[in-house]
Amino acid sequence: MNVAETIIVFVGIPLGFVVLLALLIFLPGRKRPRYKPGQPWEHAPVWYEPHPEHGPAAGGHGTPGHEGQTKAIGSSVYGEPSHDAHGSQEHAHGAATAAPRAVSAGPLGGARGTW
Amino acid sequence: MTRALEAESHDTATAQTAPARTDEATDDGADQLFSYQELGRLDEALTMSSRETGLRFTLYIGDLGRQTRVTAEDLHARSGQNPTDAVLIAVSPGQRVVEVVTGAGAGRRLPDRACALAVLSMTGSFAAGDLIGGIINGLRQLSDQAGHPSALRHPHH
Repeated sequence: MNVAETIIVFVGIPLGFVVLLALLIFLPGRKRPRYKPGQPWEHAPVWYEPHPEHGPAAGGHGTPGHEGQTKAIGSSVYGEPSHDAHGSQEHAHGAATAAPRAVSAGPLGGARGTW
Repeated sequence: MTRALEAESHDTATAQTAPARTDEATDDGADQLFSYQELGRLDEALTMSSRETGLRFTLYIGDLGRQTRVTAEDLHARSGQNPTDAVLIAVSPGQRVVEVVTGAGAGRRLPDRACALAVLSMTGSFAAGDLIGGIINGLRQLSDQAGHPSALRHPHH
């Protein structure tokens, strides 16, 4: 093994390995902005809701109304164009509050936390 | 000097055509917020906790204004057909506030102490930067505390 081969094997191969790892780590475009506490939140408000229950055995409270349900499959964002009769005057602030009309839910409970 | 021609097309969408892919990609939607895997976990947690308990859990992530409690209660009142049995988890990462709002019916099964415990576990994860993990753990605690409704406990006997 002459000098050139020695350099290729003992310097070139490790160097190539390191460059490959560095490329995998610092490759642009696969980075997602991760939330860190204290950062400002610049995303649009989003409201996730559960899947509607299928089948008629959905409990005994009234008819499963369709007027306020969004048409997307699964968790979805409020603010889709609704074709109701009363869907036009509800444009409060932002898309997330353009939900169905407000209904009183009695005395509210819950909790608050900060971090 | 002449500038290079812009290679990407930015046409406007009409009723017949969808917007160009290049314009869709820049749309700051929910896809960018979380990965699809995270969204899947979130979806499953929301759906399963709602089915198990018979309550309706919804999750709001966004700014809550100056009076966070008032905004959260207003959102809760709009959260569906029957907000009495609805539980809203409102997270405002920019303000570092999480609010849990329960309706009157949900509040009987989820007392404020249980909500406070779930909020405590959520804020622990949020402070470590784990939004999705905290939300899912909080949902799990809330649904465990609420249990099954009596109507679902003996389904067909």
